[in-house]
Amino acid sequence: MNLSVSPADAVAMAPFIAAVLAAMAVILVDFVWPGRRTAALLTTFVGLAIVAGLILVANEGARTTQNGVSTVFNGSYRVDALTTFLDLLFVSIAGLTAAFAPDYLGERRLPVAEFNATLLFAMTGAMLLAGSADLIVLFLGLELMVLPGYLLAGFHKNDGFSTEGAIKYFLLGSFSSAIFLFGLAFVFGMTGTTRIDGVAGYLKAIVAGTAPFSPALGMGLAFLTTGVAFKIAAVPFHYWTPDAYQGSPTPVTGYLSVGPKVGAFALIIRLFAGALLPMAVQWNVVIIVLAATTMTLGNLVALTQDNVKRMLAYSSIAHTGYMLVGFAAFAAGQAQGLEGLLYYGAAYSFMNLGAFAVIASIQRRTGITSNLSTFAGLIRREPALAWLMTLFLLSLTGIPPTAGFFGKFYVILAAVQAGNTNPWLTGLAVLAMLNAAAAAFYYLRVVVYMFMRDPSEEVASIGHGRLVWAGLAVSTVMTIALGLFPGILLGLVSSAAAAVHVN
Amino acid sequence: MLSFLNGISQNLDTYLVLSGILFAIGSFGFLARRNAISMLMSIELMVNAVNLAFIAFGAFSPALAADASSIALIVIASAAAEATVGLAIVIAIYRNKKTPLVDEYDAMRQ
Repeated sequence: MNLSVSPADAVAMAPFIAAVLAAMAVILVDFVWPGRRTAALLTTFVGLAIVAGLILVANEGARTTQNGVSTVFNGSYRVDALTTFLDLLFVSIAGLTAAFAPDYLGERRLPVAEFNATLLFAMTGAMLLAGSADLIVLFLGLELMVLPGYLLAGFHKNDGFSTEGAIKYFLLGSFSSAIFLFGLAFVFGMTGTTRIDGVAGYLKAIVAGTAPFSPALGMGLAFLTTGVAFKIAAVPFHYWTPDAYQGSPTPVTGYLSVGPKVGAFALIIRLFAGALLPMAVQWNVVIIVLAATTMTLGNLVALTQDNVKRMLAYSSIAHTGYMLVGFAAFAAGQAQGLEGLLYYGAAYSFMNLGAFAVIASIQRRTGITSNLSTFAGLIRREPALAWLMTLFLLSLTGIPPTAGFFGKFYVILAAVQAGNTNPWLTGLAVLAMLNAAAAAFYYLRVVVYMFMRDPSEEVASIGHGRLVWAGLAVSTVMTIALGLFPGILLGLVSSAAAAVHVN
Repeated sequence: MLSFLNGISQNLDTYLVLSGILFAIGSFGFLARRNAISMLMSIELMVNAVNLAFIAFGAFSPALAADASSIALIVIASAAAEATVGLAIVIAIYRNKKTPLVDEYDAMRQ
């Protein structure tokens, strides 16, 4: 076993190491200047900028290799176009969350430095997940991503709702981790390897009939699938989502609805599109059923919610379903399905973070609920926020020219094309369109409240920090730019999707 | 020496079945118990069942022995981190609600 680290290896690992160091630097800075918000924020953003720069450097290092992939540590971690795309997305998500949170946290006397350090550690886990080429690295990345997430959910530790959301998130999260790990153990034992390409090779031999398929391996794969379904909150494994999202502090809810979600999709891509691809015909049945139930139930329950945070929690379940449609199309042989999924992930991240940033800004003063009535007459109280919220909700609905439209468009288009070979995917595409139409009702209800209802009581408007406006500007620009010029992301997305297969 | 080990099974399946039984007991405990601490303990039991499976695979095929032991160590470390986070959250919610029973944590389901 060769464990020496070459300069090329160091370049490939640099973004990951820098992310860990940035998280520790935030803690150290807070140790030297306790409670100084500016110092902690400056360290966070400088750290994120360095990580983003190193991701691009590592990407250059990978591009100059023969097949566009650089692997380190005996091939257990890899940098390719997919790693780069997902890493940059995770850095943007962490950066936007760090921009939206301080106002909300400051008003509740919660420490900003600890929040940012925890957030950076969660980002580190997601980055490890995105580049993993080994099932154990995959598991470690998953744990490193979700453990800080539990802490963030319970960050408002004196608040009953926040801790209640955190304990539900934690219990179901670690239960699903144990299930995932159990599946991992049997896949390891039966295939004799933890390398993703090794597992893929073994499954290929099974499909070709040269290796035996044992019930234990089937059980392992079933447990892996169940664990992953918990992590992406697919119906019927979604019970933790509404409570965890409603209870968490609002900026955390924004983060939880995109960061761990895209991270879990990175896990799905690496696991199913990488390791388990030879048996795609078998597991795609499960993905199709999950996609159909997830988007339908998510939308139906979202229709009945009066709390906007809880409504967006159910809507995030529905969005998981749309992304699964793209993945089902990919598994049915349409490469565009994976491209659509990645595009959807990026579009969803910016628009959903934006929507939650608006809610967090409205809730800045303590004691303001996220009920629909809070949004009544917002256009007169805070016109800028009301317009931005309208934009993000239209994008979540999928109305052109916004990012959400092209996300849905690519995913459904891929499903329609895959429908030529697998009629179930045509049905899935139709169901996705019906769902998108039904979703318009509950998104636009918030818009109606903001523009047409009178507030039940007069609430004085409150100022918002420059950081929040800067973050909102980024989300807005991305939401509109991805809706007007989808080409800026299509090149990245297609090279990222193509990198899955390269060994 | 170690003569009491003579009666121990030399068959991999025995250990995998034992691991499966432990995992099932853990899942049952998680689903049936309503005390947050008991649920945490059940999760630990499930993770240890997984570790038993890893070690059994390693013990019965020499090619996997090194991998299996290192994976088991990694899993122990991650389970410890998970328990730390979990206990911290349980203590925080106990201070708010004065009960470890998860059925009482229903403020959001009016």
